[in-house]
Amino acid sequence: MKLYLDLDMEKCSACGACAVACMDQNDIDPDRELPFRNVFCVDRRDSAGVESVCASLSCMHCADAPCVPACPSACLAKDAETGFTLYDNQNCIGCHSCAMACPFGVPSFNSQGKMEKCDGCSVRLAHGMEPACVRVCPTGALRVYTEEAYRAVHGSRSILRVLQLL
Amino acid sequence: MTELEKLRKAKIPCPETGITVRHTLCDICTPDNHCGVDAYVLDGRVIKVEGTKEHPHNHGLLCTKGAANREYIYREDRLRTPMRRVGRRGEGKFVPITWDEAYDEIVRRLDAVRREEGADAVAFFSGYTKWYRTLLKRFAYSFGSVNYGTESSVCFDATFMAWAATTGSFAVPDLDRAATYIGWGYGPHYSGHLSVGGMQAFKERGGRLLIVDPKITPAVKMADLHLQLKPGTDGALALGIAKVILDNGWADMDYVEKHTAGFEEYRAEVQKFDLKTVEEITGVAPKLVAAAAELIATGGPACMHQSASPITQHRNGFQNYRAILALLALTGNYDCPGGNIPIHFTYNYQAAGFATREREYTTATRPAGDRTRIGADRFPVWNLFQDEFQAMDLSRQILEGTPYPVKALFACGMNLLMFPDTDQLRRALEKLDFFVDIDLFETPCTRYADIVLPACTSFERGEYRVYPSGHSFYTKPVIDPLYESRSDADIITDLARRLTPEDTLLCQGYEAAIDYILQDLSISVAGLKDSEFPVMTPEARPPRVGLTRTQGCPTPSGKFEFSSTLLARCGVNPVPNYPENLRRPEGGRKFILATGVRLPNALHSRLHKVPWLRSLRPEPMADISLADAARLELERGDTVRLTTDGGSLCVKVNPTSTVLPGTVHLFHGYEKANVNALLPADWLDPCTGFPAYKSIGCDMEKCPAPDGEKG
Repeated sequence: MKLYLDLDMEKCSACGACAVACMDQNDIDPDRELPFRNVFCVDRRDSAGVESVCASLSCMHCADAPCVPACPSACLAKDAETGFTLYDNQNCIGCHSCAMACPFGVPSFNSQGKMEKCDGCSVRLAHGMEPACVRVCPTGALRVYTEEAYRAVHGSRSILRVLQLL
Repeated sequence: MTELEKLRKAKIPCPETGITVRHTLCDICTPDNHCGVDAYVLDGRVIKVEGTKEHPHNHGLLCTKGAANREYIYREDRLRTPMRRVGRRGEGKFVPITWDEAYDEIVRRLDAVRREEGADAVAFFSGYTKWYRTLLKRFAYSFGSVNYGTESSVCFDATFMAWAATTGSFAVPDLDRAATYIGWGYGPHYSGHLSVGGMQAFKERGGRLLIVDPKITPAVKMADLHLQLKPGTDGALALGIAKVILDNGWADMDYVEKHTAGFEEYRAEVQKFDLKTVEEITGVAPKLVAAAAELIATGGPACMHQSASPITQHRNGFQNYRAILALLALTGNYDCPGGNIPIHFTYNYQAAGFATREREYTTATRPAGDRTRIGADRFPVWNLFQDEFQAMDLSRQILEGTPYPVKALFACGMNLLMFPDTDQLRRALEKLDFFVDIDLFETPCTRYADIVLPACTSFERGEYRVYPSGHSFYTKPVIDPLYESRSDADIITDLARRLTPEDTLLCQGYEAAIDYILQDLSISVAGLKDSEFPVMTPEARPPRVGLTRTQGCPTPSGKFEFSSTLLARCGVNPVPNYPENLRRPEGGRKFILATGVRLPNALHSRLHKVPWLRSLRPEPMADISLADAARLELERGDTVRLTTDGGSLCVKVNPTSTVLPGTVHLFHGYEKANVNALLPADWLDPCTGFPAYKSIGCDMEKCPAPDGEKG
């Protein structure tokens, strides 16, 4: 069952609960490591004026993920069932090819120099639990959708809108 | 990676990993929330937290702050043992001592002050949080001191007083039946996350939302109408809205005639606030004021949600708040379906639809001496409505010794950086004969104490809570207390046994106190402990609507008082008003500075040293408008000097479209950018004694470097 981890941009207030829950789930020390999920508010200017836009971003789990073929050690792969971009960093040589290939600069590197990133909390999902960021989100902005549910949601509120903003 | 390694890495609770889920609550912020927390525990240590899905209040949700509970409880600067000061006050030099040594010294020193200066010369103070306050207040009274006070001297209490002076009771919005929702200074996303869902549902069913706020908050993005007023001018705006309502004949004169008092005096005050005057004072365009008036008065049942405290944190905050409340009576939206419904507090600042004996417990041993509480003479309105001292007069009384000396301070969780003119409080703390401070962490305040005692967090103790749904909850510890820490309630009990042995109920401790408080109900501590989750209190009932319309309000006149009988008795203007001298809140300076405007990742000073939360906003930054940034040629990260009549500091800026030009917002509690020090000690609302944190005249100029690299 293909899954989408998506953000309703109209509900996001960039409160950062998702980013903190992600750091708690993944034991991230932000003084030394890059978090897997980040929130931000940016002022966007258009003909109607200036508007503060809030968003929460992590790995976009691209359908055609450029990080996968970029890795010389074959650490990254698309999960056949969920469609998430998963990894096993045992063979990671720390070459940063994945990070350079990623249009969002998502992959980060831990203190051993090995790549880490959001895996959609795939083990939690397999045990009937939501990703940590979705579980905590106090405004209901972050959700995991099945493909069917995702198509029913109007795309104008999706995180894909970030692509137009950037 | 093996399957077991994958399970461990994902922290899946199951027999294979040995991870168990235990239920507690988050005690980082106010009793309004106190969300249920699932603690994932492995080998006696919390390894992850989540909201409790079965909890009837938060339904599994947590906010930014609550999600950081693990790092909060394991902060590296947790106090580990009782300590005795060996350096000079404020220097921070301490040596560890045993609990018995600490208790012996506290007893000896407090007893000496009581003997030589009288028990009132010992002040008892509670900062955050509030869970043990019932015991602390009784302890102060049993000790013989009239001086029990709290940080509520700057927080919720002025809001409560405005209601008490006007209607006799606090009242909450009946959102489910309202057509119009007025959020006055109210933005739940960063301070009350559990209310966001209700706001969303209200909008989805077609309700109309009016937000009054100087900032463009996330709630403003949901609003049908936003009045972006200058900070502190709420009273002028509310009176201006009232004038439009009256001029158009939209007032509910049937309600006004039957159920209110002092309408003619109020109407006379309202007449001063025509749309032009209102625009001059508040900066809000006349057409928006008129639209708001029409929405409130003609849009069907309207209810109002104000923030807990910011509206009252202005020089005219108390009267501003009363001017806002008057709109409910003017439009007949008090105590009716879809309006604001009176409630009564059950326990620990929460209304849960049933009565307890909390008040009897806390006041049974109140001393009968003739000394007045700290601040009683200076703030008579405060003293009339509040059964505690006004902490904004504490440092003055310590320094001046009038009307009588205060020589010792017993404090729990006291936050030095909360106080205006922080240096004045520092001088006062230096002057004390004896100061004991109980806290979780080393703070700028503990550094002044003679004895410091380590408290534990909500994860390490059991406690009683009530929720608006009528639920009662008694938690159990999910981990052992860290280091040598003890619960605040246990510390108070230990000291009561030594200092007030004649108060046998207090000496029996926290659980006995709760059983006393619950004695008229079918629940008890033992019974509540049988449940892992909150249970419905059988005696809980939803608020009864319309009772004040048949039986009258609990005010001296029995009416909704536009003109307050009790305020008149205190010699204060009884009619909501906005004074001439605040027509320009910035005074002689160019900007209005507001301190403590909420950030999602901070609460007071307690979270600045939590790395996960600090990473969301690593440095103190003043939020300024894009227009002011452009005019002063400032970019994000540039440094400015902020100067007020109280002092100046340098801090980086964050230009944002969410800020009104002419205003500057800086969060408080940073040690190296202590913005509350920019408020003079007497920068207070004269009625309540509340600091005017949210509006002080300020100048801003570009400067080379911030005062401190990290706050």
